[in-house]
Amino acid sequence: MEPKIADGLRAIVGDRGLTTNATRRATYESDGLAHVRQVPDLVLMPRDTRETAAALRFLKEWNVPIVPRGAGTGLSGGATPVAGGVLISTARMRDVIEVDSVNRFARVQAGVVNVDLTHACADHGLFYAPDPSSQKACTIGGNVAENSGGPHCFKYGSTTQHVLGLVFVTIDGEIIDLAEPCVDPLGLDLVGVFVGSEGLLGIATEVTVRLLPVPPVVETLLAIFDDLDSACDSVTDMIAARLEMSAIEILDKHTIDAIEASVLAAGYPQNAQAVLLLECEGSDVEVAAALRDIEPILARHGAYDIRRARAADERARLWAGRKGAYGAMGRIAPDLYVTDAVVPRTRLRELVRATTDICEKRGLKVANVFHAGDGNLHPNICYDRRDKDELARVLDAGDEIMRVCLAAGGSLTGEHGVGLEKIEGMEWLFSHDDLAAMCRVREAFDPKRRMNPGKLLPMRACMETRSAVRPNEPRNG
Amino acid sequence: MDDATLVDYAKTLDCIHCGLCLNACPTYKLTGAEPSSPRGRVHLMRSVAEGTLQPDSEFAEEMDFCLLCRACESACPSGVQFGVLMEHTRAGLQTERRGSFFARAARWIGFRVILPSRFALRLVAFVGRSAQRTGLTRFVSRFGFARALRDAPTIPPSAKRALLQPMTPARGEPRGVVGVLQGCMMPELFGRVNRATVAVLAEAGFESRVPSAHVCCGSLHAHNGDREGARFLAQKTIVCFEDIVDASGHPSPIVVNSAGCGAHMKDYAHLFDADDPWHERAHRFAERVVDFSEFVALPRTRAALERRLRDRPSRAQAVRVTWDDPCHLCHAQKIRSEPRALLDLLPGIERVEMRDSEGCCGSAGIYSLLRPDDAAAVLEPKLQELSDTRAAILVTGNPGCQLQWSAGVKRAGLNVRVAHIAELLDEALQHGPIDPADRNA
Repeated sequence: MEPKIADGLRAIVGDRGLTTNATRRATYESDGLAHVRQVPDLVLMPRDTRETAAALRFLKEWNVPIVPRGAGTGLSGGATPVAGGVLISTARMRDVIEVDSVNRFARVQAGVVNVDLTHACADHGLFYAPDPSSQKACTIGGNVAENSGGPHCFKYGSTTQHVLGLVFVTIDGEIIDLAEPCVDPLGLDLVGVFVGSEGLLGIATEVTVRLLPVPPVVETLLAIFDDLDSACDSVTDMIAARLEMSAIEILDKHTIDAIEASVLAAGYPQNAQAVLLLECEGSDVEVAAALRDIEPILARHGAYDIRRARAADERARLWAGRKGAYGAMGRIAPDLYVTDAVVPRTRLRELVRATTDICEKRGLKVANVFHAGDGNLHPNICYDRRDKDELARVLDAGDEIMRVCLAAGGSLTGEHGVGLEKIEGMEWLFSHDDLAAMCRVREAFDPKRRMNPGKLLPMRACMETRSAVRPNEPRNG
Repeated sequence: MDDATLVDYAKTLDCIHCGLCLNACPTYKLTGAEPSSPRGRVHLMRSVAEGTLQPDSEFAEEMDFCLLCRACESACPSGVQFGVLMEHTRAGLQTERRGSFFARAARWIGFRVILPSRFALRLVAFVGRSAQRTGLTRFVSRFGFARALRDAPTIPPSAKRALLQPMTPARGEPRGVVGVLQGCMMPELFGRVNRATVAVLAEAGFESRVPSAHVCCGSLHAHNGDREGARFLAQKTIVCFEDIVDASGHPSPIVVNSAGCGAHMKDYAHLFDADDPWHERAHRFAERVVDFSEFVALPRTRAALERRLRDRPSRAQAVRVTWDDPCHLCHAQKIRSEPRALLDLLPGIERVEMRDSEGCCGSAGIYSLLRPDDAAAVLEPKLQELSDTRAAILVTGNPGCQLQWSAGVKRAGLNVRVAHIAELLDEALQHGPIDPADRNA
């Protein structure tokens, strides 16, 4: 890359904000999607909105691709660098700017770690609801890009329901300030457009989020099953019975074994074939009522033991184990492919079994741990990326899982985003016209498509849009 | 050494790239830079082993920048043995590192001449004390090469640097015999902690034995890439403590009041190949090693101390204390509740938790000497956490942390006493109420 680019950027962000050394850059070659790798030409770490905008204004004349990155914990390759491009990391934008406990919102820089936000407002009896499993490391900016979920999104909804405002910088270095928290945006809801846009529309530098009061009573249940099918069926029934829970998670035997072997051992029973981790929150009357309704359903489906977390530390351990499940799989093989599919909750049993079969018939080891309440499956496939044949089988299984879930009326992704990983799936799910419309939105912000190219929207579709928008011209096929 | 053996390749494969370690890492928190994170460092090691990266100066710099606090191990669900990986890599880098003649000579003198020799250690302490008294250090430290001397801890007078007796009897009904690690620098800088340690053990009914031939456990060598020196000192340590047995001829527990040394001694076996007879011997030795707080908090010992402390006079206004977990106690030895339970036995104190008490203070063995600026930057946010607790005493269980905190507290102008847990227990047993000011200061 042109040395003048580095010199110009250094003048804006200083020495500590720029990484040019090849060894250091190599560590940015992938995010959580570890089998796709590309070393970025430069890594930029601005301290704030102003520096980000100045850097993007400077880079405009050089016409290079830009890839934003939070903590690099994403699983769909949203932060995989692009050849010849500049990676912009938000890891040094870590200030909690304001916690307004009366109006229940917080303004934070994009690089604030999810769990640090919750710590920052804990003294006020408030919390930030979306809790992705990587919450100890992932950033709010990354959560905004991917519209991240988490176990408790069953009750509270995903990131987009909790973002009240934003400041973002466009590819041209223009600062779009939508930070003022508003419940009902006037004019076009640009915040709504931005959340989940996977870094295609700009880089979020500040986020205004909704805070919620910590519920007075929390009950955490662990229901233990002899087989995975019954655990799935009990969830389907609980959903049908319109029970109010805050989280419904299923962990299968492989997952339990991996967690129990790790530092996060939580006391999940290792003789069980599956466990359901349930949480109810609210007033004591509400929680008691919910528990009264839940327990018979669990019993009917053969839960042979139902344990209640006795104290806050036991609850914390159960959740830490659940949230460390992905990492714990590292004990089984060097790499893990975490698929992220959504299925109708009425067909959980059938589709969990189908996804497991897809992996097993390819000789792959699969562990299931998923947000059952949302029908958001995560078949975790253990593999070793050095074995090219195994990697090919993993990717093939991922494709088939996606097709089966789509055919059953599900969706491509529940919370990990499309990124690089599922970009082909976009063409299965959406018509040409749908994709063309999305591309036009993108190009309103970034006409040259330099922001995070190759992610979320298939390049091909965008290229074709160019011809498609020309009036009175017949379109091929 | 080629690049493939520079790194323990198989152990790098345990990392699954999930990133849960990032926010636990002091150097990542400081810089926000991926190469300065545990995940980044493992990635660098793996790339070097796979031949896609050269172990250049930036690689070495990232390995040196690590504090080896092992907080990442407490965060890692995948069980990456980061400490072992880092020691291996540093040892590999050391064999091919050039460095200036002066730096290599200083290193050799420090690791191979001073640390293993009681005579040399005492000589250095004597000379150091004299230089500090006469103002010579202040003068010399004006020259760039000796800048570190300015921040060197004050060496206590010779009366306070006495070595422990080879044997200290139990008081009252004897309950057993323990070996005690006196340490290399402990007698010179923290003789009072050593004396408090054997005094508390005596009150709890244990006879302390200190092998006079023993000097250094070799943990600083292992952490800084001198594997050969570490092996030699481990063998020596094992031999020195082998004949300390109780009345029935059973090998006695070995009580260690320095978390860094204890963690290393519990991990001696990894210095030797599995087919080396020393491997098994190190393993048997390691089973005897206990941290001071771990040993004293055992139910019967704790009950004995509790009986003695119960009738000690208390004070009207409780003194607020907080425990700062030494990294090599909480992350390496997984000891967290024991010291807290012991502090709760003390009359007239109120124990409060400090935020991020498991975060590194920046001492990290000789890190604070090698990289004083980084060490101070790591401590900076912790000084704020300490100040937020409004504690009058910060309690720790590791001499390096005690030095680092004392220097930091002084720099920040905080009115906080920094003490070892053994000192507080001893004070309570001797005098009753804990003094918010340091009796020895």
